[in-house]
Amino acid sequence: MTEAKYYKVADHLFGVEAHNSILAQMSNYEPFTTNPADTTDTLFFLSVDQEGPVSYKEEWRQDEEGQDTICGHTEQGESVFEFRWGGRVAGWLVCSPGYRKGALHICGFQAKAALDNALMIMFAMASACMGTVLFHAAAVSLEGHGYMFLGKSGTGKSTHARLWLNNIPGTELMNDDNPAVRVKPDGTAVVYGTPWSGKTPCYRNVSAPVAGIVLLSQAPYNRIVRLKGIGAYAAVVPSISGKRWDSVIADGLHDTENYLATNIPVWHLDCLPDSNAAHLCKDTIAL
Amino acid sequence: MKIKKGFVLRQVCGENVIVGEGLDAINFGRMLCLNETAAWLWQKAQESGDFTVESLSDALCDEYEVDKAQALADVKETIDNWISQGVVE
Repeated sequence: MTEAKYYKVADHLFGVEAHNSILAQMSNYEPFTTNPADTTDTLFFLSVDQEGPVSYKEEWRQDEEGQDTICGHTEQGESVFEFRWGGRVAGWLVCSPGYRKGALHICGFQAKAALDNALMIMFAMASACMGTVLFHAAAVSLEGHGYMFLGKSGTGKSTHARLWLNNIPGTELMNDDNPAVRVKPDGTAVVYGTPWSGKTPCYRNVSAPVAGIVLLSQAPYNRIVRLKGIGAYAAVVPSISGKRWDSVIADGLHDTENYLATNIPVWHLDCLPDSNAAHLCKDTIAL
Repeated sequence: MKIKKGFVLRQVCGENVIVGEGLDAINFGRMLCLNETAAWLWQKAQESGDFTVESLSDALCDEYEVDKAQALADVKETIDNWISQGVVE
């Protein structure tokens, strides 16, 4: 039996329709569950079924630790994302223009992971022109403010976040891998927890105004410098997911990235994985 | 000559920057800062599709009070930089 459920992430409402056995695996979405009286302002709606395969023309592929995502489009112009683990197909996401409607055709293998990927893609694309970006980062809160740690995979984002948790009283982990940031109409940039958090089960429906963004690099010492202008923009852009060869999406992401680089303090922290790094960072950036 | 597909002129924190966003440019991995004149030339080059040092110099002379020799030298320097950065072909 299929059922529809609604969730709210970063104040964006979205719906998922899937077989009960799939919905039962979505415990990471539970904190974001909502029962909307009105679904007219739904950001997107995703339906999950087992129809497939999908024929499409490949445009681009990304390989990340044995996980492939292949992007392309159908003859009708719908965007397609094929998900593979270890070379084996888990499913195809087919999106309507504008990413308001999606269909995920699962194969039965890695179904939950394919669903998570599909929802992250739909969320990032559909909200790109609404001042929202999905980061690859760790986010913590302290005294009501949000701080984000960016860096390439393996740089130690999670490690640095954990150093704050262990050494700076009052720090809480908001999300360990994929927080969302939304620029509100009044200009406030707010960081939100999401149902996606990498290997760390941290699915918190929390938010805080962003007070600092820190790009991390490993170094044999601790040092922090403020980045401004293009330097700040260049630090932020690689940490934001999106399909930049779609010019509408690229324009939306750019507007938000430029706003963040201009209005939020951005820093570069060269660091060791030690408590001094957390203290130096906090003493420099915390409001 | 023409601008390679996928390169876009963006306003970043008040400055003019060339970034690679298209499928053919997504691995560019850096940004190119342009001064006001270079950004103006980029827009002209983008509009005209196919361009030469000569055609952009003429456009520059039409728009600004600059003598032809100076325009040619400035445009050549700008375009040489774009060629060495791999954003035109």
